[in-house]
Amino acid sequence: MPLLRRLVLLTFAALALAFPATGARADAAEISAIVDRFATASKFPQVEAVIEALGAAGDPLAVPALRALEAGELQVAPDGRVVIERGDALLDPVTLEAAAPVEGRLKKVRTKNSIRRMIGDVISGLTLRAPEPAIRMTAAETIFASADAAQLDALEAALAEETDAGVKSRMEEARAAILLTASDDPAVQMAAIDIIADRGDQQALAVLATYANQASNADVQAAAREGVAEIESTLAMWQAGQNIWYGVSLGSVLFLAAIGLAITFGVMGVINMAHGEMVMLGAYTTFVVQETIRNSFPGAFEFSLLIALPLAFLVSGLVGLVMERGIIRHLYGRPLETLLATWGVSLILQQAVRTIFGPNNREVGNPDWMSGAFMIGEMSVTWSRLWIVVFALCVFGALLFAMNRTPLGLQMRAVTQNRRMASAMGIRTPWVDALTFALGSGIAGIAGVALSQIDNVSPNLGRTYIIDSFMVVVFGGVGNLWGTLVGGLTLGVVNKFLEPYAGAVLGKILILVFIILFIQRRPRGLFALKGRAVE
Amino acid sequence: MTDTQSQSQSQSQPVPAAAKAPINPALAPTPSARKDTLLYLDGVSRSFDGFKAINELSFVLAMGEMRAIIGPNGAGKTTMMDIITGKTRPDKGDVFFMGDIDLTKHDEPTIAQMGIGRKFQKPTVFETQTVADNLLLSLKGERRGIPALFYRDNRKDRRTIDGILDKIRLGHRRDELAAYLSHGQKQWLEIGMLLAQDPKLLLVDEPVAGMTDAETEETARLLREIAVDHSVVVVEHDMGFVRDLGVKVTCLHEGHVLSEGSLDHVSSDPQVVEVYLGR
Amino acid sequence: MLFTRFLAGGLKSPVIIGALVVILAIGVIVPVLNLAVAPGSAFHIPDHMVPLFGKYLCYAMAALALDLVWGYCGILSLGHGAFFALGGYAMGMHLMREIGDRGVYGNAVLPDFMVFLNWKELPWFWHGFDSFVFACIMVAAAPGILAFVFGWFAFRSRVTGVYLSIITQAMTYALLLAFFRNDMGFGGNNGLTDFKDVLGFDLQSGRVRSTLFFLTAFFLALNLLIAAAIVGSKYGKILRAVRDAEPRTRFLGYRPDKIKLFAWTVSAIMAGVAGALYVPQVGIINPGEFAPANSIEMVVWTAVGGRGTLVGPIGGAILVNAAKSWFTGVLPEYWLFALGALFIFTTLYLPDGVAGLIRKMVGKARSKPRGKDEETEAPAADAPAGAAE
Ligand SMILES: Nc1ncnc2c1ncn2[C@@H]1O[C@H](COP(=O)(O)OP(=O)(O)OP(=O)(O)O)[C@@H](O)[C@H]1O
Ligand SMILES: [Mg+2]
Repeated sequence: MPLLRRLVLLTFAALALAFPATGARADAAEISAIVDRFATASKFPQVEAVIEALGAAGDPLAVPALRALEAGELQVAPDGRVVIERGDALLDPVTLEAAAPVEGRLKKVRTKNSIRRMIGDVISGLTLRAPEPAIRMTAAETIFASADAAQLDALEAALAEETDAGVKSRMEEARAAILLTASDDPAVQMAAIDIIADRGDQQALAVLATYANQASNADVQAAAREGVAEIESTLAMWQAGQNIWYGVSLGSVLFLAAIGLAITFGVMGVINMAHGEMVMLGAYTTFVVQETIRNSFPGAFEFSLLIALPLAFLVSGLVGLVMERGIIRHLYGRPLETLLATWGVSLILQQAVRTIFGPNNREVGNPDWMSGAFMIGEMSVTWSRLWIVVFALCVFGALLFAMNRTPLGLQMRAVTQNRRMASAMGIRTPWVDALTFALGSGIAGIAGVALSQIDNVSPNLGRTYIIDSFMVVVFGGVGNLWGTLVGGLTLGVVNKFLEPYAGAVLGKILILVFIILFIQRRPRGLFALKGRAVE
Repeated sequence: MTDTQSQSQSQSQPVPAAAKAPINPALAPTPSARKDTLLYLDGVSRSFDGFKAINELSFVLAMGEMRAIIGPNGAGKTTMMDIITGKTRPDKGDVFFMGDIDLTKHDEPTIAQMGIGRKFQKPTVFETQTVADNLLLSLKGERRGIPALFYRDNRKDRRTIDGILDKIRLGHRRDELAAYLSHGQKQWLEIGMLLAQDPKLLLVDEPVAGMTDAETEETARLLREIAVDHSVVVVEHDMGFVRDLGVKVTCLHEGHVLSEGSLDHVSSDPQVVEVYLGR
Repeated sequence: MLFTRFLAGGLKSPVIIGALVVILAIGVIVPVLNLAVAPGSAFHIPDHMVPLFGKYLCYAMAALALDLVWGYCGILSLGHGAFFALGGYAMGMHLMREIGDRGVYGNAVLPDFMVFLNWKELPWFWHGFDSFVFACIMVAAAPGILAFVFGWFAFRSRVTGVYLSIITQAMTYALLLAFFRNDMGFGGNNGLTDFKDVLGFDLQSGRVRSTLFFLTAFFLALNLLIAAAIVGSKYGKILRAVRDAEPRTRFLGYRPDKIKLFAWTVSAIMAGVAGALYVPQVGIINPGEFAPANSIEMVVWTAVGGRGTLVGPIGGAILVNAAKSWFTGVLPEYWLFALGALFIFTTLYLPDGVAGLIRKMVGKARSKPRGKDEETEAPAADAPAGAAE
């Protein structure tokens, strides 16, 4: 609902802007004359009469004035002029051009709730015939929600002229909503129910459900109930779709966070406990890039993420390389010690970031193309999540290519499958290890860029993801990119489906328990490497 | 037990004679033949990702018998031992121990406790423990953890261990860590661990790999000694060693019995010459 | 008796005997220096130091428990903090019950936090904690049962090495999330606190503090003795065999899962006892004790002291925590740097910890006159679990 409301408001804002362009209608003067009658309307019935007159005139030019009236901005000057007072500016109520200054005090045209409701209806009636289809659409929607029988005539008239198929069907639905309550012919009502049920969204459900409780005719009532059930099942499907989408988006975040870990674990057999901190470094790189851009090149903000991606890859990758060369290389064959040493690194990195950037969340902005949301049917999709899913798929594709088509990938796979053999065949395993570690860390860095868009950037960022990433790796199995993808997506979707029933925390606990049980069946994950070498 | 043993030995006689035509289906052992065998494999197959490591393998070992298995690399010799000891499950086929124990239904510890001991191709001893402790851990008897908490050193066990140490010539290194033994000594220690287990059946995978000729001879002697009162299956590539053992030989190839009989018989088999011995 | 003989098995090594004596002596000396020496004296130990030292000994007990599984069984548990905390919660629940109607809300039946949450009656799992004996049983049973069930599943499916470590970490993380929830009935975020008495004695009094300290030292000594007896028995040999070559032990007829399960459960109970002694001394137990970072810190105590030595981890825990107290007092900013560096340094340069270093130096000094046999030091039990299977 709030979304719809926002949409309506947005449209009206567009409307207000649109009118000056189309404003040069022949009857602007006529509308002005009617609007000026507000000056003398001191009682509510008189105000209502003026509004009705504006509605009868049937010209969308009256809309700004009506909106201003609704918002309490419509004022009467001592000289009898009617003006809109918006902020410090005074505007002409019809042309919306700046009005001449006023001497003395302005007097507000008074309204009350019933009048405001009436204004809304009149505006929708007026806008039914606006030139822009989007505006007509909104008007039809407004009528659908109010189901105000008074609008029926205007609606029928508009419907007769309507050429846009989408708008037309919305108008038909609006008419059905009116007829459902206004008509007492069961046949008409049944037809209306069919139309409304076909619409199948939350509003349709509200209209039908309300009606089902008060219908006088048993048949119609039964049909309405049926319609309600039908809509509910449609909505349940959309809800499931929404959950899947949330799950996929969470899953791709998990995938991004885990894939680097899976690669290093697969190739080198070591768990990098500082992996989460690599993600954090990527997020802070984004922060630094945005800070620099804000201070020096404000125009480039839209590109901040594109700039941050390679930088984050380099920063985290370099830290990873240093770690491998400085520490991990000396611990080869001792995976448990490696785990501890990398934990030590994670403590140091965390504290270093805390010392440099402070312990609190840092603000990382979304560029415009990452902000906002749109609807698919009844599903709401935020751009940032969508881009992260797309990004995760790109990373996956790129890694797939790198692993299967490049010499380094070939060598990495060889080392994963049989380190000793690979080494005997002349593959320089230390070199492969170093590059693998740098690659895994670098990917964590770019995951950090993505995460900075949807999560708080704080020194603890890595901690929040590390256990989840482990679970993805344990679940998906190592040495196979698909395992991580499927593991991440599965855990994401399962998590989101559990949440409504179990709550976020319990859901997470259930997943952990599930994974602990899962590795009973498959101790090496979904996509385990096979063969003797792994035993 | 002893009378069935002697019986079975006499019964097993016809097999080498018929082994001239190894692919002959009439040769496949029948269930009634299972009765007096120690180990009985029939129609066993196992594949790894479509690769058939063991393919319709049939193999019979009589009570008290010692058998040598030869075959090219990847013939499935080790895999066969994996199947017998419960490490690998066959896709199909029968694996019976002592006539009526279905080994495919048991896991490794149970099979080991039933009396099948195994020496691995790659010697695996407990490196951080002393030679004597390695044997102590292998000594036949209690295998549960909690009773082991209350285990007390006793003369009987010590004497057994000392006896085995003498046999495997490691008496002088009794209290040294197994990690410091040479490769050959580790092989022997593993054989000693087998002896300590006192199993009914010993599976010995490549016991002389990496040994000098003298050591190889010693090992052959040791194994013959063991074979006096145990059933033994030895896998080995070293033909001199196999000859020293002087027992019936089975040649495996591609998971299948290629030829079976005395060493001379097998090594003159043209198929064996082609796939294994060369030229 | 069988059990005494078993314990006597722990007294074979002079190092263990020495450690037992030192621990018990500390258990007596600290309270004496606190109570019997005048506050002005240089030898006086101020009141607040007694529970602080007590805390160190509890941590030492946890490190010892960890060493039993990590050092001798190759299981690097990143979840021992969970067992520690469970033992602590069991004791905390009893202490909560002892508050009775002296809480802020004066409710005789419900602890404060339940009154605050508008609960009407005591949840079923709080029943019985009025009894000290029952609470003591739960101190062992709660971590013991969790460890048993967890280990039974994990070991049976042959999960080893880093996989196992990660799963133990997930375990404590899941418990952390669970205990944070108010509706779990364990006080949520704030945990259990405001304890007044134990067995009717005021927790704030000097004598109770000293008794608790002595008990901690006593239990530490007892646990050390038990651990030494376990490790020194034939079972201990089997345990190490499983650590070094788990698949091989199977072919000898051992069931590594069962073998590990026993040590694992005993270790969890030891950690639980440590937690139970910890709670009355620090006066609070909250879900933060389940934090994965806590469990990993325990590992570093063990590593610094020297795993596989039993005595080493006890020293390691005391050393590291004393350092922590000093750092957080003087240079709080740098503690994490120091701890991180400690992790790296220990794993790189001190794989056998301080105890290993000492042993090596003593061994070298001794081996010179004696010849080859002594010189060959025990090889480091490198990556036992990860490499096997
Ligand atoms: N667990 C497994 N996974 C995949 N393949 C396996 C596995 N075990 C055995 N194989 C395959 O089965 C085949 C038979 O192997 P096996 O070790 O039994 O040969 P072998 O006769 O012992 O050879 P060698 O003389 O070299 O020891 C080999 O190709 C091997 O790669
Ligand atoms: Mg082999």
